[in-house]
Amino acid sequence: MTVRRRSPGKTGRVAPRRAPLRPPSVKAGLTAPAPTNPITLEICWNRLVGVVNEQAAALQRTSFTSIVREAGDLSAGVFDRRGFMVAQAVTGTPGHINSMALAMKHFLAACPLETLRPGDVLITNDPWLTSGHLNDVTICSPIFRGEECIAFFASTCHTADIGGHVLSAEAREVYEEGLQIPIMKLYEAGRPNEALIAIIRANTRLPEMVLGDFHAQIAGGAVGGERLLEFMAEFGLERLEPLADEIIGRTERTMRAAIRALRPGVYTNEATSDGFDEPITIRARCEIRGDELLVDYAGSSPASRRGVNVVMNYTEAYTTYGVKVIVSPDVPNNEGAFRPLRITAPTGSILNVQRPAAVAARHIVGHFLPHVIAGALGQALPDRVMAEGSANIWGIQVSGKDFAGEPFSYIFFSSGGTGARAIKDGLSATAFPSGVLGTPVEVIENLSPLIVERKCLRDDSGGPGKYRGGLGQTIAFRVRTREPFAASILCDRTVHPAAGFRGGGPGARGAVLIDGVAPANPKAEQLVPPGALVEVRLPGGGGYGLPAERDPALIARDLLEGYVRGA
Amino acid sequence: MTARLGVDIGGTFTDLVVIDETSGAARVGKVLTTPKDPAHAVEQGIGSLLKESAIPASAVRAVVHGTTLATNALIERKGARTALLTTEGFRDALEIRHEGRYDMYDLFIDPPAPLVPRRLRREVRERLLADGEVRQPLDEDAARRVIGELAAEGVEAVAICLLHAYVNPAHERRLATLVREIAPQMVVACASEVVPEIREYERASTTTANVYVAPLMSRYLEDLERRLAEQEIPGQLYIMQSSGGIALPPLARRLPIRLVESGPAAGALAAAQAARERGEPKLLSFDMGGTTAKACVIDDGMPLVGREFEVARADRFKKGSGLPIRVPVIEMIEIGAGGGSIARVDRMGLLKVGPDSAGADPGPACYNLGGRQPTVTDADLLLGYLDAEFFLGGRMRLDHAAAHRAIEEHVAQPLGLDVTQAAWGIHRVVNENMAAAARIHGIERGKDLRSYPLFAFGGAGPVHCWQIAHILKVPRILLPFGAGAMSAYGLLAAPLAFDFVRTGRQRLDGADWTVIMRLFTEMEADGRALLARAGVAASDVAVARIAEMRYLGQGHEVEAAVPLGNLSAESLPMITASFEAAYRALYHRLPQGVPIEALNWRVKVAGPDPKTRLIGRPEPRRAVVAGSVRPALTGGGLREARRGSVRAIKGARRAYFAEAGGFVETSVYDRYALAAGMTLTGPAIVEERESTAVIGPAGRARVDAGLALIVEMTP
Repeated sequence: MTVRRRSPGKTGRVAPRRAPLRPPSVKAGLTAPAPTNPITLEICWNRLVGVVNEQAAALQRTSFTSIVREAGDLSAGVFDRRGFMVAQAVTGTPGHINSMALAMKHFLAACPLETLRPGDVLITNDPWLTSGHLNDVTICSPIFRGEECIAFFASTCHTADIGGHVLSAEAREVYEEGLQIPIMKLYEAGRPNEALIAIIRANTRLPEMVLGDFHAQIAGGAVGGERLLEFMAEFGLERLEPLADEIIGRTERTMRAAIRALRPGVYTNEATSDGFDEPITIRARCEIRGDELLVDYAGSSPASRRGVNVVMNYTEAYTTYGVKVIVSPDVPNNEGAFRPLRITAPTGSILNVQRPAAVAARHIVGHFLPHVIAGALGQALPDRVMAEGSANIWGIQVSGKDFAGEPFSYIFFSSGGTGARAIKDGLSATAFPSGVLGTPVEVIENLSPLIVERKCLRDDSGGPGKYRGGLGQTIAFRVRTREPFAASILCDRTVHPAAGFRGGGPGARGAVLIDGVAPANPKAEQLVPPGALVEVRLPGGGGYGLPAERDPALIARDLLEGYVRGA
Repeated sequence: MTARLGVDIGGTFTDLVVIDETSGAARVGKVLTTPKDPAHAVEQGIGSLLKESAIPASAVRAVVHGTTLATNALIERKGARTALLTTEGFRDALEIRHEGRYDMYDLFIDPPAPLVPRRLRREVRERLLADGEVRQPLDEDAARRVIGELAAEGVEAVAICLLHAYVNPAHERRLATLVREIAPQMVVACASEVVPEIREYERASTTTANVYVAPLMSRYLEDLERRLAEQEIPGQLYIMQSSGGIALPPLARRLPIRLVESGPAAGALAAAQAARERGEPKLLSFDMGGTTAKACVIDDGMPLVGREFEVARADRFKKGSGLPIRVPVIEMIEIGAGGGSIARVDRMGLLKVGPDSAGADPGPACYNLGGRQPTVTDADLLLGYLDAEFFLGGRMRLDHAAAHRAIEEHVAQPLGLDVTQAAWGIHRVVNENMAAAARIHGIERGKDLRSYPLFAFGGAGPVHCWQIAHILKVPRILLPFGAGAMSAYGLLAAPLAFDFVRTGRQRLDGADWTVIMRLFTEMEADGRALLARAGVAASDVAVARIAEMRYLGQGHEVEAAVPLGNLSAESLPMITASFEAAYRALYHRLPQGVPIEALNWRVKVAGPDPKTRLIGRPEPRRAVVAGSVRPALTGGGLREARRGSVRAIKGARRAYFAEAGGFVETSVYDRYALAAGMTLTGPAIVEERESTAVIGPAGRARVDAGLALIVEMTP
């Protein structure tokens, strides 16, 4: 088993967590005092959050990818010279919460401060250093005042294409999943790295969109950098580090106080994912010990042979998110919020997978983590959790040749129901823990040869309980082709349903049906005859509390509106 | 003599303004809103205002009306019993929405409930493809049955929203005909008419909201027209829309959803007129009241108009928590920051202000109406910005000691600060919040606010603008006369204008200019016809063309001007340059070699600016005519720079300015005694009845010809 700051792996350049990088040139705190006045601090902090929100807004507005623009599948943040994340923009992706913060330390280890020049821009999509699959590209812009680097802006975006298999769980090794970009300079002193750009062009299906989004990320960094310098000049800040220490310190103390307020003890839980070809167990042991929270995944399944494996960074991101929504939803995301958590998973297990395992569909397992955490911490905090939900977003991907003989490939995402909450029903057809949104049917039909026949809530799919689980949904479609086409559904909970909490019943299982028949393995790529009806039924969420305690008014409403069918 | 009337129905008050077009005199009135019968308050208000100003009803040439009735009906869920007719398989689109959560960290949020419950969302068999081709013809027999069932259930209004009908409205129109045949008592609207654009959820949401408020708005407008006729007012009734454009009553009855945000829109229009009058190419309209602040970008004398709006939010300040409404609306950011915003210390030991508000009841601690929490107004009082004896012109006395107690207990002691530092902290933090929100609003629309002078109004706007102007680094502040009554003024500030938009996606490098010219020509002709009907001379009509463009593959458009006259491939360099300039201003660099595409083509057709200048004292008893306020002649020995303004000083008090090191003796000016051409230097406080302006030590201000106070910021 490894500790949270796992072994350096192949890069051999990983900074240890507890010994922050402090190059000799950093004279943090010597030139400017930290703003300890709570009002100045509040204002400076607000400004920093404003700066990263501007970075994210500029990025989103110039992006060429709809999943970045509309679903908010990106993250953006500002880091001090030590690589500590000081502020992160408010966006829609828990999967990036601290994976980008961890990535920054790898950037600094690979490209130490003294090697950076104004106009440099760094890039990588290494799943083990960033957020777990090749589609997520992280770009880092060092910000200079004169000749001196004073901060970094980084952003991670889901890129339109990275070559290899198109986002599926089919691969056996990461090499099949697309182009790997180690930590490199995309720009060196303002000059583009033409060799790298040529390689990217040659290895992606949509080079204009991919490179366009790199531009968007760089533009975000430039806007952020400009604002940061203005802000620091206005407040007379020579260095970011004293302010960073104050922000990180307060955040860490608040996080520790929130943990200390919990009932100490050890809480365990496990959940089962259908897996690709065999079930996957996720076992968590949460220990509240003083002001620290230890989460260990010992006993979880070993790595899968297919691409549902999770790198440690991504495990940490969704674990942090799972803890945060229960323990400290209002504590901001920065270095300090992560310090009181110690997250471990056995090396080589599905939650700490090693190279060169396939990882493209890591969200299928990763999205289970907040549910497993909720089941454990819910024993101590029953009022603050939700029952298990449908967990991962489903990806529905079709490819083939349309009526005109033109090849097409199209993917869209969709969500089932969330678990019921301690004081109310679950949310129907709503993403949790992901923030990735669904796609309007009219958009699907404009961009692909799909014809959606039905997209509706699944009656009776919410787990019964004092509070009912959210309903799943059914999406049924045909594809206009003359030849068979391929359909690949990134799904789960077709065997193991979302469990209820405290006496609540499970939600309905998911299903994939092709002309009414369930394929042997719903996750495998299916060859579908032209004109066949593909029906995906997304799972419902689990219930909370005993069904007998349900308010009769809610029972009557469910029957009247048809959310629940009478016996 | 001719006159024009503006009437703005708000939640609490109905504000009225009348302008005598001959003299330019303006007079305002205020009556309590009568929620059960809103036209009653309007009738009463108009009657007494005309009487006070000795303007005969027969002189009223136009009545411009803004109202929040539609918004309130949506918030309070007091609209019609509404049903939705939709394509088989898709009745839940209204409930499934985008499948997202508006707050990623709060497990206990709920999305807004759809306006139509599931049992009243009915499906009909029919299907169009994305290009409008009919895949499944409309099953009319089944449709008749469903409509009959809805009628039997007492449904009052029906929205029809079918997949892809924005491309081919035939099935929707046929269904509407069937509804009118079978159940003529029902109000019916087709999505293809209300909002002809892609995305079924937004379209259904907008269309259901439209019919949900339609019966109520229709009854109200008919009632209002009848009452105006009874008062023998001959003027045409115009309805203010959320876009800032004006509609005639038949259009307002058919598309009442376009009226949702007309109140705040009027404030932005007042700012826009101020910008046009003074030749300011850019202006940031900043309106701060008791509960919220609103900011709006004005470019070339026009407020920014967008199509994304939400109403009835579950969490007022969270995007995504409301019902999406896709209608043209003046783009405004609403911030939970006002005089009533509550200050507290959070668990990080930091000072937070808002968005929760003490409102008017119990109100700030200094109101002494039971409020114990410290608010922004309490801080402003302790800092010397507000006069305890002259709040609302002296109608309400503020309790200094109560403000002191509240701030000491809830802010100063927990933070280990003295009360003045704590009050200054509240003032700064709320200003930072507003500035940050405004700045993000700007960048999301590609505007750099540093080049936008601040136009500050509302009760609290002028108190806070000095510091906000510093934070945003704007060049100057404009403080209009009558800052407390800008919205009602704004109704009369707008020229008669109509907006048109046509979708026509074209790559610029291969654009079909004949098609584009046809779109522009049609829109311009429609606009000219509407203006001619309203009595505008053809020579007074101004036309502007705009294209919404982006780089191929992007998802957000940038607006750029399109030249008038005939367009052809020769126009390409000019349009490209216009787009690139707008894009570069926003994002610094241009992607190379990516084609440009245009999505929408827009035309704005406007009549002339109202001839009257909106000046004059906004107080019933002491209305003044433009220019009638004359500075008294000043004696020798006075500095040239303060010529005349000394006579306007009504006193002095100590006010807090950090840049001056603390409290300094500050002159207090009577706004009503400040005449055009006068100058004054900070620190200064300028009081009018509903608002107080604060000018810091380095400020230099002059009163311009329109009686606005122009404060230059020294960089």
